[in-house]
Parts: sequence; structure tokens; C-alpha cells
Amino acid sequence: MKQPLYLISSCSISPQHTYDAGQFLQPVMSCDNGKLFVIDADYAKYISPVAIRRMSRMLKIGITAGMNCIESSGVASPDAIIIGTAHGSVTDMENFLKDMIRLEEQALNPTSFIQSTYNSVNGWIAMMTKCTGYNQTYVHRGFSLELTLLDAQMMLAEATGTKYILAGSFDELTDEYHHIHRKINYFKQETFNSLALFDHYDTPGSIGGEGANFFMLSNEQGNAACAIHTIKMLQKPTSEELIAGINEALAENGLNSTDIDVMMCGMNGDSRSKHLADTLLNSCEPNTTITTFKQLSGEYYTASGFGLWLCDHLFQTQQVPEEIVYRKGSATPIKNTLFCNVTVNGCVSMMVVRRC
Amino acid sequence: MADRIVVTAVGIVSALGTGIDAQLQAMRHGRSGVGKVMHLQSVHAPDFVLGEVKMSNDELATALNLPTGDNGYTRTTLLSLTAMQDLLDQTDVSLLKQEQFAFISANTVGGMCKMEDIYMDVAGAQTEEKNLKYIDTLDCAESTEQIAEHFGLRSLTATISTACSSSSNALMLGARMIKQGVVNRAICGGGDALSRFTLNGFYTLKNVDKTPSKPFDHNRNGLNIGEAAGFCLIEKESEAKARGAKTLAVLSGYANTNDAYHVTAPSPNGEGAVRTMQTALAMAGLQPADIGYINAHGTATANNDLAEGRAIQELFGKQAPPFSSTKPFTGHTLAAAGIIEAIYCIMALQQQMVIPNLNFETMMEELEISPASTLIENATINHVLSNSFGFGGSNVSLVFSKA
Repeated sequence: MKQPLYLISSCSISPQHTYDAGQFLQPVMSCDNGKLFVIDADYAKYISPVAIRRMSRMLKIGITAGMNCIESSGVASPDAIIIGTAHGSVTDMENFLKDMIRLEEQALNPTSFIQSTYNSVNGWIAMMTKCTGYNQTYVHRGFSLELTLLDAQMMLAEATGTKYILAGSFDELTDEYHHIHRKINYFKQETFNSLALFDHYDTPGSIGGEGANFFMLSNEQGNAACAIHTIKMLQKPTSEELIAGINEALAENGLNSTDIDVMMCGMNGDSRSKHLADTLLNSCEPNTTITTFKQLSGEYYTASGFGLWLCDHLFQTQQVPEEIVYRKGSATPIKNTLFCNVTVNGCVSMMVVRRC
Repeated sequence: MADRIVVTAVGIVSALGTGIDAQLQAMRHGRSGVGKVMHLQSVHAPDFVLGEVKMSNDELATALNLPTGDNGYTRTTLLSLTAMQDLLDQTDVSLLKQEQFAFISANTVGGMCKMEDIYMDVAGAQTEEKNLKYIDTLDCAESTEQIAEHFGLRSLTATISTACSSSSNALMLGARMIKQGVVNRAICGGGDALSRFTLNGFYTLKNVDKTPSKPFDHNRNGLNIGEAAGFCLIEKESEAKARGAKTLAVLSGYANTNDAYHVTAPSPNGEGAVRTMQTALAMAGLQPADIGYINAHGTATANNDLAEGRAIQELFGKQAPPFSSTKPFTGHTLAAAGIIEAIYCIMALQQQMVIPNLNFETMMEELEISPASTLIENATINHVLSNSFGFGGSNVSLVFSKA
């Protein structure tokens, strides 16, 4: 299947200034407690006052990112909506669960239960855009967004007349989620400034993050700056399997490693996956600029959405901000990007993103 | 003619038992699996009837040759493993080790069935050692990964969660992946275990009937929650033939559309459901008159049965083919509902039988059609339609045809 996914528009609500145009990394946001929370957007812009009152944080963030992406694409209503989320609305799940325990199953409020359903953001965006087409939710941990994109790629290749797909992902960080997952070293025991994440590769875990990242995808180029050409998912690969995966991805696109202008590396500072990060870094040719992003987004199962948004941003601006440079290469303009994400459970996803 | 997608093996566990034969026997005898609660620890347990799988966690674990007690497997995973084992007992396991293979599962609340018992300990300052092994079981993919690991699958894996249409979507995704050449074969399905979380969720929505549910009945009063797991092995017809596999049914059509109407309620006139069924029929190249049996979503909630009943009447007319909800047998098994009802459709095709809609007494006054309330044997059924509709307006219809 060789269906390019043209990125017609994108939207990110993240711990950085990504939502308001032209303000990216001005200033750079960081934290000292291991938790990077999103910068709130103007949620009332897309959500009615009646609806917004009962809506939880993640729904507001997810719906706003999705609707903003649709608006900037110029598409009135997408033909399909596909979303990935590892945990859905964590706050709603926590609230309903703890209320149920505390109130001994009496007099519960159904709002949190409904909103904790993993496809609730899908349902809301479908309602708001009157999109009665295909609607799907992937909940497969670190591959939630990747499966979303694979589905979109299949759908655009099928002869169904589908032209525009809203694809995206979101995940939420809460103090309780962080506390629980820190116990199994998803997050680091020690605290430090988040921008120094990669100085802490000697201990297990990463820093917590969250965000919603949406993309309008099409099989027609339109005004897209770039397109995703290859999506690969590697289940807990060895370093050898990772190298083989990279070579396959490049070969599928007729590219050599020297053709890669930017490697977007989703390394996460976790000692348990350091060998994968090292393999990725060592696979790059000297001319390739290596960039990182989890010091800005934090680690979450759909953090690859932030990385993909950043790829699109690089193609749009043809500039690589200093704050994401891990090692400067020589190649300009940016024509080919290899995006590799390492998840907290040791899986790797890979995309080849190319200039239109 | 394009290569058709066929089902070559199925595995199932529900309140009716494990395996196809247990389902068939119960259905032929009109014996429901919905009843008093044996395992779920809920303050509401004495007041409700549920579609509970009769085996305890330890019994499920023993049958799977797993250690009993706190073994790190939630009931969601144990049910799914049981259904997978049932499927694998009937198929060539080496197929699954091939590279071009997908394992696609679905559930709605992951390991909530366990986490709701230990959450305060998990979220507290210190967590007991025996609970630590469940600490990361709350998400939907956990059971998928456990199953993949248990059976040594390192192929493409995916987890879907679209509420009550989840596992129908899993089957549809597998078929699409095969058609697009992403994989050659797929095992698709899903499972959900009973949890207080879900029971209370539907209860607070006033959607639960404390007595046995009565789908499509004028006096229906809500659903009974159930638990189950099911999986289907699907592949191209040519590949199945080449390896000499028996074809159980052809997956001839499918559709996923959205109501875009309300967060939890279907569009009252059933426009969304009509569109889903129509799209699936069109893909199968069939007319409504070709359908010999409809396995309805039929939750027995006021909203669903009105919308779905109207939709069936609109599309099939007053001479609609026999239709039934099998949920009075199993309870509403949420993420598993789509796949176990797909398996019931395959049984209907193979046995040429219409599964009865239990507990039906009084026709709905809004409808001129009513469900098949008794078992029909020796029916002529060439094509069947299965509906699954979920929260978020998430609708899926599947069409199966005789092999």
C-alpha cells in the first residue's frame, strides 16, 4: 500500500505554545516536578456554553484541537474521523471510579461514566461536524496514533470516495496517573528540569506529558507541505530489528540514509530503552540533523502526535528551532524526515515524512 | 470476481458456556445464561440479573493451565484467553506465527474488573506487592498484549474501543487489512468482563432492567449487562481453500457509520441505523429481501429498540425477515457483543435456524413488526445481517453469507 497521507492542516494543544500560530517556543515551557501539562486554549471558541459546563478537561482539549484542525483545513466536514487514545479521559475514569467506591455504588452521576468512554471525543466531533461517515477509535497504547494513521492510509486507498480524514490522538496526565505509573517506573523517581531530560538516561522512566494533536489528511496534495509515506510499528524490537526496520522504511521510499535531512527522534530518557535511542542516533549520517521533542511534550502513549505535528511545522517553516536540535547536520532544505518514536513500553514506531 | 473474506474458525465464551456447542444447546432449549450473580462483588448484586460466565477466575485460569490466585491476569484477559484457546483448538496454530498476520481485539474498560477492587491501594502512598502486578491493567490494550504474549504472537496487534460496537469494528478492520494487503490473515474479536464500574454506569443512566430484559417488547425496561469474549479467524477464500480449511461463512459486507446525533442516544427515527445497514448491504451486493435473518442490536432500552425497530421496518418493510436480539440469552456483553453475535449469525447460517428473541410478549405500539419469539429450524437462510450500535453514535453492521 503506497498511499501518501497529505497533511492538509494540523493542530496541537500541548505543554508548549503550539496552539496559537507563530508563537512556537516563545517562550519555551518547562517543569521541575516531572509533569508537563498542556497550556489551555480558548475552549469556548468551539464548544457551546451549555456543553462546556459539564465537560471534562480532556474532552475540551480533544474537541478543540480537532475542531481547530478542521477549521484551518478549510474542509467543512471530514469524510471520516479516526482517533487514537491510550487512556481516554483519565479524569472522568478516576472520578467515576472513586465516587463509586466512596459512595458505595449509590447516587452516582453518569456524566463522568459517559465521558470516560474512549470514543466520546469521536462522538462529539462527529456531532459538531455532522460527520456521519466512518468513525473509529484506537486504544493500543504507544501505537494508538500509528494505527489511526494506518487506518487512514487504508481508507484513502480504498475506492470509497473518501477524500478528507480527521485523524488525531490525545492523552491526559493527572497527578494520580503520574503517582500510580511512577510506581512502575513509567516516570522517573528523581525530579529535575524537564529540558534536562536526556541528562538522566541512567535511570528508568521518563517525564509525564499530555496533549492533543490532530491532522486533516487527504489523498490529494492541496496546500500540504508534506506527506506521510510509510508507517511502521515494531513490537519491542531489538537493536538489530530496529536497524532492519529503518532500512526497510528507507528502501520502500527509494531513499538512502544520506537522503534524510532531519531525524525526529522520540527518545524519552528511559534507561530501559537507551539501547534503542542509541541505535537511532548512531544510524544517522553526519549530514542529518537530529532533533528531539519529549523534553518539550513529556512522555505519553500518543506523544508521537506531537512529534508528527513538529515534523509538519518543520516542513512548513523550513527551519529547525535550536531548542529541538540534538545534533546539527548540514542538509537544507528539509525534503525527507525520518520520524522514530520510542514508547515507554519499549516499542518503536516509524514514519517517513516527505516534502510535497 | 474479487477474493472473498471468509471465516474459518471461531472461539467463544459467554454466559451460555464455552464453545459453539454450548451456545447452540442453550439456544435450542431456550435456556438463558442471564441469572443471579455468582462472582461480581457489587452492593447491587442481589437485586440484578446479569449474563455472567459461570466459571470463576480460578476455574478459567486452571482450564488455561495458568496459576490460580493473583496471577496478574484480569478476568477480561482470562475470558479473552478462553475464547482464543477455543478458536486455536480448531485451527493450525503455526498460521499465527507467520509474519503477515494481525491480531485485533476490543474492549471497553480494560482490566477495570480488577482495578475497581484495588484502586485505592494502587492510588495510595504504598501499594501491596500482590496488587502491583495489576497496576498497569486499566487500559484497553493491556489484555491484547497479554493474549499476544501468551500465544507467542509478535505480529501486528491492535485494540479498538468504540463502546458497544467495538468488536464488530475489530472484524471489519481485519477484513480491510486483508483486502489492502497489509496482512494475509487476522484474528479479530474482543472481550469484556463484568465490572461494577460498567454496571453502575448503565444503572445511573437508568438503562438497566433488574429483571430479564425484553428486547423489542412494549414493556421493555432496559438491558441486562453480560460478559463474554469471542474471536474469528478470517482470511481470503483462496488462501483458505489452498490450505484445505473449512469455510464457516463469508463476510460479505460491513459498514461503519456514525449517527452524529447524540452522545448516548440513537437518532429516534433510526436514520443512522438505516444508513449503516444499507451501506453494508450495498457492499455485499444484496437487496433487503436477500436477508434471511437479522441479529439485532436489541438492547431492550427504550431508545435503542425504538430506533432500531423503526430502522428495520423502514429498510425491510412490514415483511421484514425474522429478526431477534440474542441479548436475553447472554446479556449485553458490550465490547464482546459484536463478535459473539457475529458468531451467532454464522451459527444461524450453518444450522439454518432463527435464534429466538426470548422474553417477548407484547408488540411495540410504534412498530408493525415484531421479533421472532420462538426457535425456527429448517429455515432458508442464505444471508444474515448483524447490528451493533454504541455510545458516541458508533454504528456497525455486518453481513454474512453462506459459504
